[in-house]
Amino acid sequence: MALSREAYQAFEGIVGTDNISDDPALLDSYRYPLSHTAIHIGPYYRVYTPRGEAVLLPGSAEEVQAIVRECNKYKIKFKASSTFWSAWGYPLEENTIQLDMRRMDQILEIDEKNMFAVVEPHVIGATLQAEAMKVGLNTHIHGSGSSCSCLASATSLGGLGPDTNYMGHHSENLLGAEWVMPTGDILRVGSIGSGLGWFCCDGPGPSLKGLVRGMVGMNGAMGVFTKCAIKLYPWPGPATLPVEGKPPAYKAVLPDNIRVYTLGFPAWEAWADSCYLIWEAGIGYIAHRQFNMFGRDLKGAMVKILSDPTKTLSDIEELLDDPEVQKMTEEMKRDYQIVLAGMTPRDIEWQDKALDRILETTGGWKVQGMLDPDLYNWALLYMIRLGHKNLNLVYGGGYDGCFGLGGTPDFATSGPETIPRVEEATAFKAEWEKKGNIVATGGDAMMGGIGGMGGGGHAMWESFTHFDPHDKASTEGTLEFFDAATDYGIKKGWGPGMEKMNAYARGADGRSTPKEIRERILSAAAQPEAFRYQRKIKETFNPNDLGDAYYRTLDEPEK
Amino acid sequence: MALEDYKADMERCSQCSYCKWIPLDHVKSWRFAKGCPSIAYNNFLSYSARGRFAVALSLLNSQSNYTDRVVDIVYKCVTCGSCDVSDKICRYNLEPLEMMHELRFRLVEDGQLLPQHMAVIEHLRKEDNMMMEPRAGRGDWAEELDVKHITSEQAEVVFHAGCRFSYDKDLRETARTAVTLLKNAGVDIGIMGKDESCCGGKAYDMGYKGEFVKFAENATEAWTAAGVKTVVTSCADCYHAFNRLYPPLGAKFEILHTVQYLDRLIKEGKIKFTKTVPMRVTYHDPCHLGRQGEPYVPWEGKEKKIKGQIVVYEPRKPRYNGAWGVYDPPRDVLKSIPGLELVEMERIREYAWCCGAGGGAREAYPKFSNWTATERIEEAKSTGTEAIVSACPWCERNFTDAIDTTGEKMKVFDVIELVQQAI
Ligand SMILES: Cc1cc2nc3c(=O)[nH]c(=O)nc-3n(C[C@H](O)[C@H](O)[C@H](O)COP(=O)(O)OP(=O)(O)OC[C@H]3O[C@@H](n4cnc5c(N)ncnc54)[C@H](O)[C@@H]3O)c2cc1C
Ligand code: SF4
Ligand code: SF4
Repeated sequence: MALSREAYQAFEGIVGTDNISDDPALLDSYRYPLSHTAIHIGPYYRVYTPRGEAVLLPGSAEEVQAIVRECNKYKIKFKASSTFWSAWGYPLEENTIQLDMRRMDQILEIDEKNMFAVVEPHVIGATLQAEAMKVGLNTHIHGSGSSCSCLASATSLGGLGPDTNYMGHHSENLLGAEWVMPTGDILRVGSIGSGLGWFCCDGPGPSLKGLVRGMVGMNGAMGVFTKCAIKLYPWPGPATLPVEGKPPAYKAVLPDNIRVYTLGFPAWEAWADSCYLIWEAGIGYIAHRQFNMFGRDLKGAMVKILSDPTKTLSDIEELLDDPEVQKMTEEMKRDYQIVLAGMTPRDIEWQDKALDRILETTGGWKVQGMLDPDLYNWALLYMIRLGHKNLNLVYGGGYDGCFGLGGTPDFATSGPETIPRVEEATAFKAEWEKKGNIVATGGDAMMGGIGGMGGGGHAMWESFTHFDPHDKASTEGTLEFFDAATDYGIKKGWGPGMEKMNAYARGADGRSTPKEIRERILSAAAQPEAFRYQRKIKETFNPNDLGDAYYRTLDEPEK
Repeated sequence: MALEDYKADMERCSQCSYCKWIPLDHVKSWRFAKGCPSIAYNNFLSYSARGRFAVALSLLNSQSNYTDRVVDIVYKCVTCGSCDVSDKICRYNLEPLEMMHELRFRLVEDGQLLPQHMAVIEHLRKEDNMMMEPRAGRGDWAEELDVKHITSEQAEVVFHAGCRFSYDKDLRETARTAVTLLKNAGVDIGIMGKDESCCGGKAYDMGYKGEFVKFAENATEAWTAAGVKTVVTSCADCYHAFNRLYPPLGAKFEILHTVQYLDRLIKEGKIKFTKTVPMRVTYHDPCHLGRQGEPYVPWEGKEKKIKGQIVVYEPRKPRYNGAWGVYDPPRDVLKSIPGLELVEMERIREYAWCCGAGGGAREAYPKFSNWTATERIEEAKSTGTEAIVSACPWCERNFTDAIDTTGEKMKVFDVIELVQQAI
């Protein structure tokens, strides 16, 4: 259903001719392939999210407001996105316009003293971090890396990443937001709403943080955020990262108060114990099982390739035969990466001593191969800037996560039987890898933070599965594996995993999940009442229903 | 390769948008973090490498047809290759720049042309240059220059002036200086003068592959007949054409940009400086000399999979990601000039911001091209230097024109001019 000429002209009148288009090919660049990453349903071969009716590039909150008002007038749905790297950000249905927020890209303020930044939607992790570092501060970079919008993850979606242990989940970092509500009214949420500045999202003032953000965010289904304030953290390093080396193997030699280690452990119990001890000690500026995204068997070879500009994926097999790489890979089997940042020389010495004590207690070690200067300086830069997250897709072009073992660290590393859950999931995936449709990583390509909220607590692992979205057999084989993983998770009492995370909203055709299925999924959730309550919120704040199914609501009354 | 051969890349693009930025590790500020002029200026996703993959796929799958907008998307790109570098930071197997060239070839084949390009190409066909100038004036730049003409005399090294240096009266002195410097340093150098033609590189970038091949074959034939072993040029576009685009067609010459030759001669003591040039300058890496200046490595092979679904190539495929471009020779030359201080901009080497002149943008989209240059001048200004130095006449022309429109005080030089000042 194309937009009526009248509606198109109304939008054009707001943003100007250069900032609106309904050209079919242009609109197709705003469709997300469902044979891809972070879809968390499927993958479905050659299926795309539906084409929006038009794309608009608003340049200010006032323009957004005017657009939303027209949407209410013409009953057109709208979906805003800032950096467009996830399925959540694209239309679910026809009669939806896409708002591309990239023209609103200013860092409006960095308040050095009070340690926060006010940003517009298209400010990304890398630019905010670069500016913050100039004044001795740093920002949380979301797990999808520094190419992604800071505002999107602070206000609207997910929010954990490798540095969450120290720099918090992004829902914790949100200090206030300017929200164009689905009705077109503008609400400044938190202390800013009372004219008191951007220091607290819970007030004094309209304290709607729980409503607009919560833990998972409203996924662009309830209005548009046009600016927000984000808490910043101390950065005891140089004002600019001193990056050197040939692409893609960039490295940074940083002062000695910032250190990176890959820690290895003799058993999963020891691994989990170390997480608790790290939280207790209050160390771990960044702490994440990151390089395991390449897989237990391949990560040693992969870090060698990535830190050497002359190497490519064609070197994998030769490296796998290298005894030195084999030794390192074995040492890294149960691992995570940790960055220590000492605020003073004494602080870093203390932190390192504390880490050594933790390793002594748990029987763990610092993986020696990763202390080689080339790997060390590469890993340091990688972890701090998180600018290589697209490596998730380096193998075949597609990846998605499954299982998603979440809870305290020993939820994953222990099990009701004697086998740790992580090893159960590994053995299960390793069997499927033998079919050849997904990359044979050794079964365990689980990745995740050791602290999924500020100060530790909660860890979550996603089991990465790599495939080729251009290859039908690979894509469909991955889907079969994911379905089997769901069944396995349910049978084991872990519940459906990351592989079905989006199933409540988007279906196999890329469009809204049929209502009956949606209701069935949501009513089976642990807290279905939350979704009944959200229905009421939607009725109040979004009376014309101009959002989409990513805002979870349940019509069905309690049985 | 045909456009269809890039369908795998189109379907494997991971939508990460790295192609819009300089490599994220190198981001030093908000202001100078962008890498792709096309999306920075046009804003819609379609104007990035990612978007062009999607648009190409949409066309191939017949989900959409040619429209004015599609034509605009395809041509409003300076073919600078910044996206290609940033993409390959993580995606070792994708070739966005090659795909974008194929997309242009396809549009040209299908008659989806820009009138501005058509006029230039029409002229090129008749007069052998990209400057809308008569063929007869091609050799004027070298008038009274005491140098061999390789059409009548043998020389080991041929200096190729290129269209811009041949016809741009403000710049041609630089080409004369280059020849004189090399000759005085003992190089057995000749020129083709009025018999020189366009390298064809710009036609290639605009999508006119047929024209490019014609010029490549003619030049190769002429150089072979004259016994040329080495081709030197002061134009980055020509350098790229000779270095990367001619070898697949069978050309086998040593290709040097003047800055490489000068660097060599300075290091060998064959060029000596006698004067100081007290100036703070910054150096702009031309895209075709820098990230696209890597040597051609022959490869023929096919994709295969290991470990189930890891895509590799049999035999091992060369990777062009800007790692081995020409970055140090111009810097070394500048640093060797007494009194001259070189201050770097934020975006340099493989992640330099483009001057805006490439890909036919200067011809078809003067505003976009000028804006791109202005952005670079802003960046140069932020270093506190008084001049921006480049090694390509197209960059110099675009910078000079941008400065003329904005009224900036920044001076623009070629490396060669500063070398000359020090002698
Ligand atoms: C490779 C990869 C790794 C990931 N890893 C993690 C991880 O470790 N942790 C985690 O929590 N998540 C992770 N994710 C999912 C992630 O939460 C999102 O991808 C992320 O927020 C980042 O940006 P984006 O480019 O997708 O944002 P966008 O495309 O801008 O949008 C993300 C969501 O926010 C909404 N949105 C964006 N801007 C606005 C606005 N101005 N107003 C209203 N709504 C808006 C969109 O509609 C969409 O629903 C990952 C995703 C990928 C692709
Ligand atoms: S070649 Fe340059 S202008 Fe064109 S898409 Fe790539 S980065 Fe952008
Ligand atoms: S960087 Fe490469 S993989 Fe990422 S969106 Fe751009 S073209 Fe696609």
